[in-house]
Amino acid sequence: MLDEPARILIAAALCWINFVAIDVFFKLPESGGVCGATAIAEEVEKGGGNLHGGFMLGNIVSSPDASAGTLLAACGVYCAGLPGGLFAALLVYIGNRICYDPGYAGTTGAITATFLVYGMTQVGFAPSDFIAGMVIAILTIQGISHVHSSRLIARLWDFRNRLLGGHP
Amino acid sequence: MIAIYLCAAIAVYAALRIITERNTMRKLPFLNVISFAVTAIIALLLPNPITIIAAAAYFVGSTLESNAIASTWAGGIKKP
Repeated sequence: MLDEPARILIAAALCWINFVAIDVFFKLPESGGVCGATAIAEEVEKGGGNLHGGFMLGNIVSSPDASAGTLLAACGVYCAGLPGGLFAALLVYIGNRICYDPGYAGTTGAITATFLVYGMTQVGFAPSDFIAGMVIAILTIQGISHVHSSRLIARLWDFRNRLLGGHP
Repeated sequence: MIAIYLCAAIAVYAALRIITERNTMRKLPFLNVISFAVTAIIALLLPNPITIIAAAAYFVGSTLESNAIASTWAGGIKKP
């Protein structure tokens, strides 16, 4: 089987696809959920980034979204198997309500991640690979360059709108 | 074991980025990375079913704090 570093990198790619796809599908880059998220987006735009990408960065900071769902689901599967992942999804749902977030991105992300992580454990991956993988995935969006990550998200947001419509 | 050291290294990196970033609002996404890394370290250190509650409580709490800092810094909800 693959070595741990290779498994972590593959897990990071899968986590990245899982959370970015769900966040963009649930319209996180459309607008700021709270005024703090909007303020972060405006600062990212002032720094040379994209406003819609900034909205998603701000929304990830302000409420547990699909990225948090993926991390907590991986932690749940690591600690208690499949039921642990689904329990983590319930905790993310409660967390969303605590943070005044009316959306379902976090809960959906946690449920899909639970089945993703559990399925990958059947083919030789460890849940801990996905925990570390998700930390790498969030680092690429939130922790390296806000200018570049916000532009990348904006490009994916345009792609989503061309594919599904619904953009004003 | 590589997983836990990786998470710790990412947390330290994000902390250094917070120190070097001058703009308060742009510090918050780096703080978010630290929350992710610490949540991951809690779960990796304590493989016990109750850990899920501890990790989720820490994560939701830190998110709510970031939410409060960002919203307060932005001037709060504008009253008509």
